[in-house]
Amino acid sequence: METKSRTLEITVLSAEDLRIDNKPVKKNAYVVVSVDAFNNKATKVDGEGGSYPSWNDKLVMEMPLQTRFITLLVKCKGSRGEKTVGLARIPVTDFVGGYSPATCLQFLSYRLRDPKGLKNGIINVSLRVKEPLQGCSSQAAAAGGGNAATIGLGIPIDGRRDYGMVTGIPIWTGYPSHSLF
Amino acid sequence: MGNCCSDVGGGMAAVSGAASSAATGNQNDAVDMYLRSHGIHGLFSQIELSFSATSLRDRDVFSKSDPMVAVYIKERDGAINEVFRTEVVLNSLTPTWIAKYTITYHFEVVQNLLFKVFDVDTQYHNVEMKMLKLEEQQSLGEACCTLSEIVTKPNRSLTLDLIRREESVSSTHSQHCGKLTVHAEECFSSKSTADIILRCIGLESKDLFSKSDPFLVISKLVERGISIPVCKTEVLKNDHNPTWKPVFLNIQQVGSKDSPLVIECFNFNSNGKHDLIGKVQKSLADLEKLHLGREGENLYLPTLVGHNYENKILNSKLLVDKFSETVQHTFLDYLAGGFELNFMVAIDFTASNGNPRLPDSLHYIDPSGRLNAYQKAIYEVGEVLQFYDADKRYPAWGFGARPIDGPVSHCFNLNGSSNYCEVQGIQGIMMAYTSALLNVSLAGPTLFGHVINRASGVACDSLSTGAKKYFVLLIITDGVITDLQETKDALVKASDLPLSILIVGVGGADFKEMEILDADKGERLESTTGCIASRDIVQFVPFRDVQSGEISMVGALLAELPTQFLTYMRRRDIKPST
Repeated sequence: METKSRTLEITVLSAEDLRIDNKPVKKNAYVVVSVDAFNNKATKVDGEGGSYPSWNDKLVMEMPLQTRFITLLVKCKGSRGEKTVGLARIPVTDFVGGYSPATCLQFLSYRLRDPKGLKNGIINVSLRVKEPLQGCSSQAAAAGGGNAATIGLGIPIDGRRDYGMVTGIPIWTGYPSHSLF
Repeated sequence: MGNCCSDVGGGMAAVSGAASSAATGNQNDAVDMYLRSHGIHGLFSQIELSFSATSLRDRDVFSKSDPMVAVYIKERDGAINEVFRTEVVLNSLTPTWIAKYTITYHFEVVQNLLFKVFDVDTQYHNVEMKMLKLEEQQSLGEACCTLSEIVTKPNRSLTLDLIRREESVSSTHSQHCGKLTVHAEECFSSKSTADIILRCIGLESKDLFSKSDPFLVISKLVERGISIPVCKTEVLKNDHNPTWKPVFLNIQQVGSKDSPLVIECFNFNSNGKHDLIGKVQKSLADLEKLHLGREGENLYLPTLVGHNYENKILNSKLLVDKFSETVQHTFLDYLAGGFELNFMVAIDFTASNGNPRLPDSLHYIDPSGRLNAYQKAIYEVGEVLQFYDADKRYPAWGFGARPIDGPVSHCFNLNGSSNYCEVQGIQGIMMAYTSALLNVSLAGPTLFGHVINRASGVACDSLSTGAKKYFVLLIITDGVITDLQETKDALVKASDLPLSILIVGVGGADFKEMEILDADKGERLESTTGCIASRDIVQFVPFRDVQSGEISMVGALLAELPTQFLTYMRRRDIKPST
């Protein structure tokens, strides 16, 4: 019953409102999808889309059981090399278990943040997980919680049974707090 | 004088060929504009009703009855207005009438129809239909139903028993005299939309010092050589080899795939006098051939030679980069394919409503039968949605109360059961609501997260079984929520599920904060993990009593539902299987 990894089919659809140094991206944006530090794949470069590129590129990757985040890195190929436009980290709990139907196609959109932590556009993906660990239903959310405990996510505070995740944003001193949200 | 006052930008925009106009599903842009300007939004389509009957009573002595049907609409205030009459079919007890009644289907309104079948006396046979006085004819029976009942049937046919009302009959039961079958068809000769990308090469310069600014106008040719513009592309500046953005043409708009179209290429001038660069005459079928053959068609320009106009063939060419036809299914197609809208309701039982036993409480059950705000909201939404749910079992929850000495629950079953949450029919919701008022003590705070997660669970379970269901959750509340971030998280998770949420605010509280949840008025919702809602599934409206004749605000919300349903289905490419 224990499978070592699941297959993730992720189609990187498009992105919205990408900027570098507050100027809209002109062209040649692409996305690198990483399951962990060594396991990553890149989409094709979109030469025409500018700051609203679209790729519709389907990538199939193996996702080991203990994966916690999928990272999407949007980069731009410029004349002076590559620049990172933005980063989104998708917690696996956002699309596995809980209220996510297993093996169904899910459409998700995530906020991109640039290397300084400021908001920089939105990325749209659709994904499907094959060979899920447990059947989907709201009961599985509670059962899935038990599974997470074996991975060692820590002890839940005040006995809550949902093992949700939040993404922290580093606060840099000197930045006005309203620009982060 | 012209330049500084006119809207040059507006003049350069594409008209009527964009994808959004194809989404409304209506075949006539003029009708669309008219209805929108009269405040009727949302999805509406034209339906044709056709009639047939069986086992009619025989009223004539020497021959069979000569029946006809008259259609009446029952308004909200009880008035009954006649709207249509079929022709008379001679000598038949199982007639099929040819005349069809065209009615506009409005999702958000309950359209009550009354049908009366009459036997037309022989002496009136030469009288025009309109002049016939129906009171002088003999009634063969009547039947009534709502339009939603007809369109949600699998084959869109509803058979009704005809009932005769006679004042002279002493027995109390009404006599049955045959059956009337009403069949509904959507008025579309074709639901196909063509998605075309056009481009030109080698255009000539019409401006003195710069290149041309070309745009295309596609017109359909009607009789006597008159052309009616159908759509116009955007203007591309300074380009002799332009490629315009895709044009979406509903094949119904142009007539048929073989109807002749004139495609004219003009040079844009900000004074409004655009020069014709060249034109071609092609039908949609010809454009498809050009695309497949990857060839271009030379433009021609009517030029004056002597006293006549000759078509001078230019070197410029028109090419078709893309031609694809897609079928746009309508909401009624999905209904015919077996899709259902499932209604769910969640009621706010927080203490801010006031003690239910006191008359000033929002939960006060008036013994005289006057409905309180909660009951009115449930009826208004429920009576429209009930026809779209096959088994009429609705999950009903309450939140913010303490059920009999237990801890405060933010999502308890309204029917008091701990196993299942469903009640039967709108009446079931009303009964469960009134009995819950007696059995719980109002508490607080107002939290939506639990109820939305519960509804998401129901939708998710249904999605994994592959059921053809779309869920509508109605939340009726009197106050502002206190768990904004949890609610946002729950909504973002729910936005990818087949679920729409209607929030109705009752009472006099200031609901400004609730408008954050409705993405029409604010930004897209973002969860704590950075996930952004993929669809706007929340509609919020404060509940106000409707004066007669007004379109209620809740009705305006319901009008958005078919569009949300279609967006969900089309994005996932789910087709109504027939």
